Amino acid sequence: MSSKKKIQHIKPPETNDRVDQLRYLAQIRGELEIEEEKPKLNMKRFLIISLCVLLVLSAGLVFCHLKIDDINLYNQALDAGEVTGDFDASVSYYMLGQVAAIALMVIYVIFMVVKIWHPKRRKPNRSFWGDLGIYLVMLLFAVAMAFPLVFSICSALKPLDELFRFPPKVFPQHVTMDNFSDLFVTMGQSWIPFSRYLTNTVFITFIGTFGHVVIASMAAFVLAKYDFPGGKFFFSVVVTALMFSGYVTGIPNYVIMSRLGMIDTYWAIILPAFAAPIGLFLMKQFMEGLPTALIEAAHIDGAGEFRIFWSIIMPNVKPAWLTIIIFSVQNLWNTNAATVIYSEEKKTLVYALQQIQAGGIARTGQAAAVTVIVMLVPITIFILSQSQILETMASSGLKD
Amino acid sequence: MESTARKYWKMKKENFSYGLYKAKKMKVCYLFLLPYAALFIAFFILPIATSIYYSFTYYNILEAPRFIGFQNYINLILQDEVFLTAVKNTFVIAVITGPIGYILSFLFAWFINELPRWLRTIAVVVFYAPSIAGNAFYIFSIIFRGDAYGYLNSFLLQFGFIDAPLLWLTDPKYILPVIIVVILWMSMGTGFLSFVAGLQGVDRSMYEAGYVDGIRNRWQELYYITLPSMKPMLLFGAVMAITQAFNVCDVPRALAGYPSTDYAARTIVTHLFDYGFSRFEMGYASAIATVLFLVMILCNKVIQNALRKVGT
Repeated sequence: MSSKKKIQHIKPPETNDRVDQLRYLAQIRGELEIEEEKPKLNMKRFLIISLCVLLVLSAGLVFCHLKIDDINLYNQALDAGEVTGDFDASVSYYMLGQVAAIALMVIYVIFMVVKIWHPKRRKPNRSFWGDLGIYLVMLLFAVAMAFPLVFSICSALKPLDELFRFPPKVFPQHVTMDNFSDLFVTMGQSWIPFSRYLTNTVFITFIGTFGHVVIASMAAFVLAKYDFPGGKFFFSVVVTALMFSGYVTGIPNYVIMSRLGMIDTYWAIILPAFAAPIGLFLMKQFMEGLPTALIEAAHIDGAGEFRIFWSIIMPNVKPAWLTIIIFSVQNLWNTNAATVIYSEEKKTLVYALQQIQAGGIARTGQAAAVTVIVMLVPITIFILSQSQILETMASSGLKD
Repeated sequence: MESTARKYWKMKKENFSYGLYKAKKMKVCYLFLLPYAALFIAFFILPIATSIYYSFTYYNILEAPRFIGFQNYINLILQDEVFLTAVKNTFVIAVITGPIGYILSFLFAWFINELPRWLRTIAVVVFYAPSIAGNAFYIFSIIFRGDAYGYLNSFLLQFGFIDAPLLWLTDPKYILPVIIVVILWMSMGTGFLSFVAGLQGVDRSMYEAGYVDGIRNRWQELYYITLPSMKPMLLFGAVMAITQAFNVCDVPRALAGYPSTDYAARTIVTHLFDYGFSRFEMGYASAIATVLFLVMILCNKVIQNALRKVGT
């Protein structure tokens, strides 16, 4: 085929998509191979085949289900002595069949969805099978990641007899709030009222987060926007400090706290939280993205540094605030601080709840309820502020 | 020779006085930095410094610290067999969960980036939730419970893989793998968020240019375009991954008990906790903390250097 003839085979792009246009140009210039037109998906045939596949799978599912019921009834009758014969242990094979049928159905439905909605050339360099594989892997991992959380919520909603049944089921058959009400009864009987623990945690979380946001933003502001001797060095130390966990510094911290007379006060938790390195780090990286002209203009208008910080910088870094609030709340809400707080009336909520969790098998239901209560707060806050957090994290990179 | 040295010192002096002049001019900056710096030094720098100092002493809080040189470190390596177990466990956990958690975080952030917006939001929450869910890992003590009511045991029993329930959390053979699984479950943390956000910020026109320049599939795109432009996030994620991989403490304590059977779940941090807050041998505990700290810094240096070479 001559090149002229070849060019006639190239279709000009129908849409205004830039990629399509670039591809078209490249194909005309001969820099890019011409893709052969793929046969169009025959919708009717595809849907009929899909329906057949799904029907066969669901028939298998129903068959397995009926068979399991049969075998269970037979085994029960065997137990009751109504019939004689051998115990039928093949239930597990049919259950496996059930699971396999469900899995195949899910895979096929995803296949259908991707096949029908897979946009032709929406993005370059994406193959259909690659997309399908990635969606499947992600679905698998997402189920695995979510399973323990779902399981703890379900356990919290199960009555006692379902918690200890064999074989255990993931989803509760009779949903009850008994575990939560039991939890409040248990907490009500304790020496210190439940509300006291809650107040302690809320107080620590509130003060700690507020102070952290103000102090860290002040430091981040000068580190991001001014060049002064020692600033860069200080920041590099803070970056290294991102690696210190509370455990490594725990022991000397204890000594320092006791020298300062802060053991067994709230300050032992709050003051270190004020200086958490992650907050300063994220704030500084975010503030670097603000235009310096903003500050220069304010200078010319005669604003002082503090004025600039408070009425120009702070309103502009709201996403970063929210982010460091999340990190700080999450950190403080989850502290049990058993090492620095001894008085029972100053202990945190998480500490009290962990005592209940340690109560052993008899408190399994209550322990699950505790887990749900503790995890709901940070997750809810995260869901509500997700877009702002992602905006902040976009600037979180470590530059050389 | 002498004149060069003198010149050098003169230059240094000038630099210094210029710095001093600049510092005087920027006085207000230090004022802003002061509250944070004071607290940061008091609760992060000073502890590390005192920790290094105490590691050369015998100190039990009641008596004044007594200087004993390198004795703590010598005991640590030569006499404390439990410490060696702890080091081994910590390294096994770190070497497995660190890289795998890091790579998985990146891969899933990358996959999520292809999803439509509403699905992306759900996926981010699903993957990130375990790491912020407080002590939700407690639920694994029900899943891995040693009797037949434990979820995993009953599942395996039902399908005939095992005949008798396995003691997942008390048998030294199984403790470490279980802990590794739980830590991997929690490993999509701050680094993962940073990746998700960073991927959304990669310039779209680079992909278009790459397409015209002959990039043919998603893996080439990942290697030649995405990874190089994500380098700052990769460095940040590495710091977070190292921190998480080495500071394993809560999970083994909650799941395997404290102390665990045969010290099978003992990590450096639980060992430190044991000496610091149960036996009050602060000097010895400080030596452990110093070792951990040095290992982490070293590891960080090596990994940061390796990551700088990505895609160049």
